[in-house]
Amino acid sequence: MNDALLSLVTPLVAALIVLTGPAMTPRRASVVVLLGSALSFAAALLALQTVTASGATQTLNLGGWEDGLAIRLRLSPLSALLLAFTALIHLLAGLYARFSRFASGDDFWVLSAFLHTALAALWLSADLFNLYITLELIGLAAVAMVALSGPKAYQAAADYLLLSLAASMIYLLGVVFLYSEYHTLDVMQLASVSADSARTRLALALITAGLMLKGALWPLHLWLPAAHAGAPAAVSALLSAVVVKGPLFILWLVWTEVAPADLAREVGPMVATAGMIALVAGGWAAMRSPYIKVLVAYSTVAQLGYALMALGLLMSWQIPQMHIALWLFVIAHGLAKASLFMAAGEMQGTLGTRRLTGLRGATQTVPIAMFAFAVAGGSLIGLPPSGGFLAKWVLLEPILSQPQNWPWAFGILLGTLVSAAYIFRVVVLAFDRATINPPDTRPHLMGHWLALLPALIVWGMALLGEQLIGLLAGGGV
Amino acid sequence: MILVQMMRWTSLLPVLIILSSLIPALLIFATPENAARRRTILNLGGIVIKLCLVLLMLLGVSQGLRFRFEVDFLPGASLVLQGDALSLQFVTLSSILWLATTIYAIGYLQKSQLKSRFFGYFSLCVSATVGIALSGNLITFLLFFELLTLATFPLVVHRGTDAALKAGRLYLVYTLSGGTLLLMGVALLHSITGTSDFIPGGYVSGAVEENRFALMAAFALMIVGLGVKAALFPLHGWLPRAMVAPAPVSALLHAVAVVKAGAFGIIRVVYDVFGVETGIALGLTPVLMLAAAFTILYGSIQALRQTDIKRRLAFSTVSQVSYITLGVAMAGPTAAIGAVVHLVHQGLMKITLFFCAGNMAETLGIHRIQEMDGLGKRMPLTMSAFTVGALGMIGVPPIAGFFSKWYLGLGALESGNDAMLAVLIGSSILNAMYFMPLIYRGWFAQPPTAGWPEDNFKKSRFETHWMMLLPPLFTALLSLLAGIFAGSLASPLGWTEFIISQEFAL
Repeated sequence: MNDALLSLVTPLVAALIVLTGPAMTPRRASVVVLLGSALSFAAALLALQTVTASGATQTLNLGGWEDGLAIRLRLSPLSALLLAFTALIHLLAGLYARFSRFASGDDFWVLSAFLHTALAALWLSADLFNLYITLELIGLAAVAMVALSGPKAYQAAADYLLLSLAASMIYLLGVVFLYSEYHTLDVMQLASVSADSARTRLALALITAGLMLKGALWPLHLWLPAAHAGAPAAVSALLSAVVVKGPLFILWLVWTEVAPADLAREVGPMVATAGMIALVAGGWAAMRSPYIKVLVAYSTVAQLGYALMALGLLMSWQIPQMHIALWLFVIAHGLAKASLFMAAGEMQGTLGTRRLTGLRGATQTVPIAMFAFAVAGGSLIGLPPSGGFLAKWVLLEPILSQPQNWPWAFGILLGTLVSAAYIFRVVVLAFDRATINPPDTRPHLMGHWLALLPALIVWGMALLGEQLIGLLAGGGV
Repeated sequence: MILVQMMRWTSLLPVLIILSSLIPALLIFATPENAARRRTILNLGGIVIKLCLVLLMLLGVSQGLRFRFEVDFLPGASLVLQGDALSLQFVTLSSILWLATTIYAIGYLQKSQLKSRFFGYFSLCVSATVGIALSGNLITFLLFFELLTLATFPLVVHRGTDAALKAGRLYLVYTLSGGTLLLMGVALLHSITGTSDFIPGGYVSGAVEENRFALMAAFALMIVGLGVKAALFPLHGWLPRAMVAPAPVSALLHAVAVVKAGAFGIIRVVYDVFGVETGIALGLTPVLMLAAAFTILYGSIQALRQTDIKRRLAFSTVSQVSYITLGVAMAGPTAAIGAVVHLVHQGLMKITLFFCAGNMAETLGIHRIQEMDGLGKRMPLTMSAFTVGALGMIGVPPIAGFFSKWYLGLGALESGNDAMLAVLIGSSILNAMYFMPLIYRGWFAQPPTAGWPEDNFKKSRFETHWMMLLPPLFTALLSLLAGIFAGSLASPLGWTEFIISQEFAL
């Protein structure tokens, strides 16, 4: 637990140093925050090791208050894994922001450190009100980061802010209903007392709607493309890779622990269907998009569909494989998407265009960034042996083992084909040698290689496949 | 576990065979465009090392040694590389043809750009193909199968023109869809029976009673997925269109790697996953046989209708590769010999034909069949090699193709599929109808009085660049030798009999 707390606190300390430290230039700020991320990552790995070795979930009541009153933190193998994942993504995005030629804004450093802290707190919280606080913190940090692009992103940031606040309010309303019914907001206590009543249903409906809006889960995803495409590349990477996963985590917590099992079983198919539609509709929108970053943003909508599908099937079948699939998707998508946004940012900047058609000949003009795009895209499609493949395989196995479940497999098949279509739409353009779009500036190779790094890690996940599955196989929290 | 395997050379050898083209591929990507010598050394060095390693493994397998390498990957499905007699058949074929094609490509691409990229992907393709051949289970096979798709795509669109990009898009639509269906099939089968190593006789027979329908679905998904690459009708549409690629790429698609990977996969699925008996029990092989027979006739008839040389050759591939599928589906040992040996024979003959077609196009600008009039006088060696390849395709002894057809025909009678004999004869007649005019025009018609469309390499000592002349002569010679020495164990036929004796436990 101490390691996990360390992982939570280091980014906070880094943020405070950046804010209060004397003569803090952006360059020094970047060093502080990168060091903080690296330390946080190391601490999270240690926490992961201890919690898997002991095999039990650990809890801590801050300040020594009793259950129900205290801020209770809970460390499970999953939350340790997510801590490590978040720190890793922050480290990778930070390295990119530090060395890329395209600026992310001077305030990037302090905001990303705050975001990191809030996310770490979210993974460790086990109380619906604390989760609300972390959600708000994440939302505010994320909105401010979208605005780092300057005035042209203010509209998108303002829309994001309003929707985010509205979503939090809806969520909070649901939480209030739950409290009025059960007089506790602690997840573990709720789990033992919750029953199927009209008020519980209403509360869960509100919570779900709020979280789906915040997490850009289909059909409440419409704000996402503008916000994610408008932000600087490093910020887009953080937003798509980790920020939208926060609400998903709470959604998972609510439906697998707080909600009565029968109700979850009833709602599950609806959630999974929404996931399937997200997969196809989001993919279709990505395929039609004329802009590079909008394509990548819609692909987030589509890929969250896989996670939603796994969540829905977890709710309705209550089997551990779906739990594994869900979190493997989250991690694989996070890494791949970070790479895609960074590569897209590099290509946009170097080629001086936001349009997809500007990528003609990109295999020659910006070969490494384009390679990063293709490699990361391969994981989104689910080509073996990438992390995306691992997740899809785990998701497919239980679906295929019963013929009556095969329609879901058809959804995955469609999703795969659509993902392949939008990724290779870009790749094919990049091989055009007849009408090459010449770059505005010489490519800055460091940024391109750093964009490739997360993509290589996601393909390396195959080597850790069995360990990751074993880690997540513990089932719930 | 990996460390223990590192100690044993029998575990290490399959990995080294793949690395012997993978490492050169990565180094070639990093080679500057104008460092032609370094690139050639990397290419040829990799090939020589690979050939030595393959020879070592051939000796080992014929002495009964087992080569197996394993790493953990998915629960219940590791990544397994293993060298058995069948995989070596394919490895040897693609390694030797890789040698010929690389030499040819160096000559062919001398004036073109982006050579490092081309040869890098080229070596990557060969690594993927060898990986397919050495795969010890379906998961590993799937992995290399997808890698092959990705590595060939940049070669298909190498010219980067509109037509090339269109063909590339079509290629991706077909092959990625096929790959996805294959994945579904593999995953479905894994959920029923798990994934064990390929073994003669298959490993699904225990599940037939309870999961009849699911097994049939898995088989259909896998065959359709593999059928895309094997150009089985109606999944062949990408192959003729991909002819816009440079000639060495056509050779790669048609003879060394892609269609062969599909056909090889069908052999594996029928023999080593389902097993012939289960295939018959589920009623699957007759359907596959009909599909193959139809494709054979359809491809031949389409070939007859083409006026472009390369397109005629492409449809001829559609037809000829289905001989392999047909032999597999007839489910008897003799037909199986015909099928497996045709994998090699078709490769040797078809690559010869493509090299020759490339020589005609590059040297004299000949693309259409009418333009071949009198070619034998200007390019006698190319025309001779072309004749050997074409006659072999028709099935004239003693060229290799005759032996494939002989065993396939015997196998048809033996397995009671007399109608297939008619298909084979009909197809041979069609083969003759679409190849004989080319041979006739080349040798006996008068050269055009207006001269050739182009005339390159006039100052060359030979009829064309020597690096483009040598490979077709070499492969034509091999297809002759494979026929003449068909009786010895060192010939493809002899080795195939060795394979089949294991598959059918004779």
